[in-house]
Amino acid sequence: MKFVKQTFIPLILLAIIITPKLIAQDYYAYVAAESEDEVHLVHFNANTQNLEIAETIHVGRYPTEIDGPHGITVSPDGKNWFVSIAHGNPYGYLAKYSTETNELISTAELGMFPASMEISEATGLLYVVNFNLHGDMVPSTVSVIDPESMIRIVDVDTGIMPHGSRLSTDGRRQYHVSMMTDELIEINAQTLEVSRRLKLGKDAQKMNHEGMDHSKMDHSAMSGPNGSMPMHKPVEKPTWADPHPTKPFVYVAGNGSNELLEISTKDWQITRRFTTGKAPYNLEVSPNGKLVVVSYKGEGATGVWDIESGKELAKIPNTRRVSHGVAITPDSKYAFITVEGVGGEPGSVDVIDLNTLKNVDHVDTGKQAGGIYFWKQVK
Amino acid sequence: MEPIKIIMRSEYQYLTLTLALIFGAFVPFETAVAQNDVPDSLIFLDLQTKELNLTVGDRSKIEYKFVDDDGNEYDRDISFWMGVPGSTIGGVPTDKLTVDDQGNVEALAPGEYIVRAVTFYRSKNWNYTKINVAPLPVTTIVFNEGPDTYYANSSYVISATPMDRSGNSRADAPVIYTSSDNGIASVTKSGRLILKKKGTVQITASSEGVVTSKKISVKENPVASVELEASESSVRTGDVVHLNVSLKDKNGKTVTGVPVTYSFTGEAEEKEGTSGLGLIEQNGRFVANKPGFFTIVAKSGNISSEVYVEASPRNIHRSISVAGHGAIKVMMADFWVWEGVDGRDYAITGTHSANGEAYFWDVTDPSEMHIIDTVTVDARTVNDVKISADGTIGVLSREGASNRRNGIVIMDVRDPGDVKILSTFDDGLTGGVHNLFIYEDHIYATNNVKKYDIINIEDPTHPYRVSKFELSRPGHVVHDVWVEDGIAYSSNFGDGLAIVDVGSNNSELGDAGGSPENPVQLASFKFDKGWNHAAFPFKSKSTGDFYVVAGDEAFKVGLDPNQAVQPTGWIHFVKFNGWEKAEEVARYEVPEAGSHNMWVKDDVMYVGYYNGGLRVVDISGELMGNLYDQGREITNFTPVDPDAWTPNSTMTWGAMPYKNYIYISDANSGLWAFELGPDSNGTN
Repeated sequence: MKFVKQTFIPLILLAIIITPKLIAQDYYAYVAAESEDEVHLVHFNANTQNLEIAETIHVGRYPTEIDGPHGITVSPDGKNWFVSIAHGNPYGYLAKYSTETNELISTAELGMFPASMEISEATGLLYVVNFNLHGDMVPSTVSVIDPESMIRIVDVDTGIMPHGSRLSTDGRRQYHVSMMTDELIEINAQTLEVSRRLKLGKDAQKMNHEGMDHSKMDHSAMSGPNGSMPMHKPVEKPTWADPHPTKPFVYVAGNGSNELLEISTKDWQITRRFTTGKAPYNLEVSPNGKLVVVSYKGEGATGVWDIESGKELAKIPNTRRVSHGVAITPDSKYAFITVEGVGGEPGSVDVIDLNTLKNVDHVDTGKQAGGIYFWKQVK
Repeated sequence: MEPIKIIMRSEYQYLTLTLALIFGAFVPFETAVAQNDVPDSLIFLDLQTKELNLTVGDRSKIEYKFVDDDGNEYDRDISFWMGVPGSTIGGVPTDKLTVDDQGNVEALAPGEYIVRAVTFYRSKNWNYTKINVAPLPVTTIVFNEGPDTYYANSSYVISATPMDRSGNSRADAPVIYTSSDNGIASVTKSGRLILKKKGTVQITASSEGVVTSKKISVKENPVASVELEASESSVRTGDVVHLNVSLKDKNGKTVTGVPVTYSFTGEAEEKEGTSGLGLIEQNGRFVANKPGFFTIVAKSGNISSEVYVEASPRNIHRSISVAGHGAIKVMMADFWVWEGVDGRDYAITGTHSANGEAYFWDVTDPSEMHIIDTVTVDARTVNDVKISADGTIGVLSREGASNRRNGIVIMDVRDPGDVKILSTFDDGLTGGVHNLFIYEDHIYATNNVKKYDIINIEDPTHPYRVSKFELSRPGHVVHDVWVEDGIAYSSNFGDGLAIVDVGSNNSELGDAGGSPENPVQLASFKFDKGWNHAAFPFKSKSTGDFYVVAGDEAFKVGLDPNQAVQPTGWIHFVKFNGWEKAEEVARYEVPEAGSHNMWVKDDVMYVGYYNGGLRVVDISGELMGNLYDQGREITNFTPVDPDAWTPNSTMTWGAMPYKNYIYISDANSGLWAFELGPDSNGTN
């Protein structure tokens, strides 16, 4: 018995000591630094709580200009990452890379200032919004790309300054917002047609556009110069949409109205509105469906919201100004936040522990860290 | 009657079937069981048509079925979407190929297409059909118009166009030419007809098995003598010699309509493997690149004549020395040097991919050039900076502003040591301003590389837009704009030069009644490579000819992290004989380097030639060929600085002659001033 005690107790103690290492988690995400023409692969070691740049990949075509990598995504099988090169000449393009080598595989031309994107697990297609952020206030498109052949198969007409392309969990519906027309837009991922639009303004809720035949209306009489539609003065200025992983809701960042909006996809109406920090920009619903993490671009902070209670659990200052992207780990434990910075400052990635609601580490990146997408979690 | 298929995948389904039979609901049951009760995850798309080879006008069908692992078939929704590999536009125009949701295909235009089947069933089973559409076969060949008369001992180019049954050109189909009598006339693969003696031959053109012939009568060549004169017999390298030829028959009468070819042989002064001694054009112009003795031959029929030209070295080289240098710790962008209202000399320099700073320098004594003020704005790149002609107003461009509004910043620079921001203007300029120009109380600002806005700054504290200029081609680009004599010259990459009347004072070439409020396009000129990046107009002091020099910007391998940056491209000389008549007559191309911004003053061109550094080039006289080859380079300097932002590396942005100095900004090493050594006066 004594032998047993002498042998096993130290072993048990040793096991207790090393257990954290045994359950260590390594998380990887890709981050685009728009004003540096770089994409970083960032690695977070949950055991040491250390975030680091694992690799930096130079992207773009012009050695003497800023090409502007903006949106980023990873294929569902994890084998490729895609970045939208936004600034364009004048059109931007999509670049496909291998996650194994981080080398460029191929490109496909897109529209004006292509931005956020995601791949549908159901159709295998990539849906990228042509944000046209820096152009005239005219309707833009969502380009649909076959990511294997990198052939652009259709441009779906959508709203003015579309942004925040995210797919439903079943991959059948793509959601994005039209910033300058205050709309949430749903695209049928197979027929590649806009299936529904929802006005996000408080007044617009009273006016249900469903069932109206707009083709028989004379919208030309409302057109401004160059075919633009200046009569609508955006209020919500939505910048992001993310569907709930299991419930029939989409969450939208109201960048102009400082709101987080909850929209029922079943009833196609706004079910809840929450006042947020200044200028919510990107957001993501945690994979466990409990939280929404929102970047507050206007105040350099991140809000963590409990979906059920509708309460903001915490507002966590970011390491620098101009908060941008959000990516949550598949286990819903950590949120990675990109922060752009201003002028010559570097960008950064912050890691927020979603249990303690604390910023646990950050790492500097190239200037204007923006698009971020989770790649893999390794035990 | 079609057999009714019953598909069952579970005991539950057998039970349902039994109940259905009992209650007589057999027919609806099939749909319910076979189509709806089987989870989508068990069904996959079997796209049976992997490739279709069609001809224009053909119809076909992409065959497919939805099956489970046991081979049972189901009805499910499917969509087909078409794309063209490498296409810049999403989808395929419906006048090229159509495919409906049943997979019915109609081929309307030749090409390679990919049809992507999109379904929701069994994740990751998407698939493609490759469709190759061949053009309609050639049915006729038509000879294109040639000369009225063919003369022996001459050569001509003939051509024939294959056509399909719809009357459309099949220019892609190769044409083979043959002659019925090679003793009279032979014809090369490319259609060069070589006429050897008097007679009649059939020239045959064939393509895809279709044959057509044309009878050609070859006449005796009447030329009995060729008289050739050269405008000069002793020239410098780079000087253009004009050749004048006169053809006479045996009676001494002038002959017209008979081809003349020009050629030359040269003996270079340098014997060590010199090549590319000169250039001769078939319009009768010759230029010597290297010093030496040249025999120029004009030939018509079997008759030829020679003239002799001696070319001496141009001898215009001048030494160059550094008069001053100022480095900064970030990448330097564009610059401007001017005389301030206090009579001292100043420079403003922009910065790239940095902290939104513009630096003001006192360069009165270039050897002591130093920064006297810094303006910092919300931007990451201040790509361009300009100063008004009276030295009171400055403007800088913004890109990478944190609020993404960008635009321009207008400054009072009467005291360059204490610059004051008067106003900012970003309305509609959120896409970033890359280049700009100040001209007569207006700022011309490129806008999101798509157009340039014209902004009134009569009151610089309250700028307002008066108009804009934009090209019409979808996907057009505007990169830079320069204004002189009331004419705006924009550089537009693939769209080439656009020349616009904004209040033209150029009485020689005429105007179109334009103004800043009403810009009117006068002319345009495109370049094959589509690299047009900068433009500078000038009137040659020595010839009176009007040119626009257009600079390329390009990189051989783009951005390759495994290789050094490899700029390429050259300076194009476009001569205008009226706005409607433009001709590219010469180039200045430095091997293995890339052009950027340039300036012309007194028939001398100053170029920031990226990795080629500063180039100073004599562009006096008539221009022809590659000026780099002709000893026209007065001097060059490749600046490096071991302590620079990028140590020991040259990337010269632009050059500007100012008073007795030449200034350059170098992206890697900063602001430089140079002095030229004594003028050698060149070879007389």
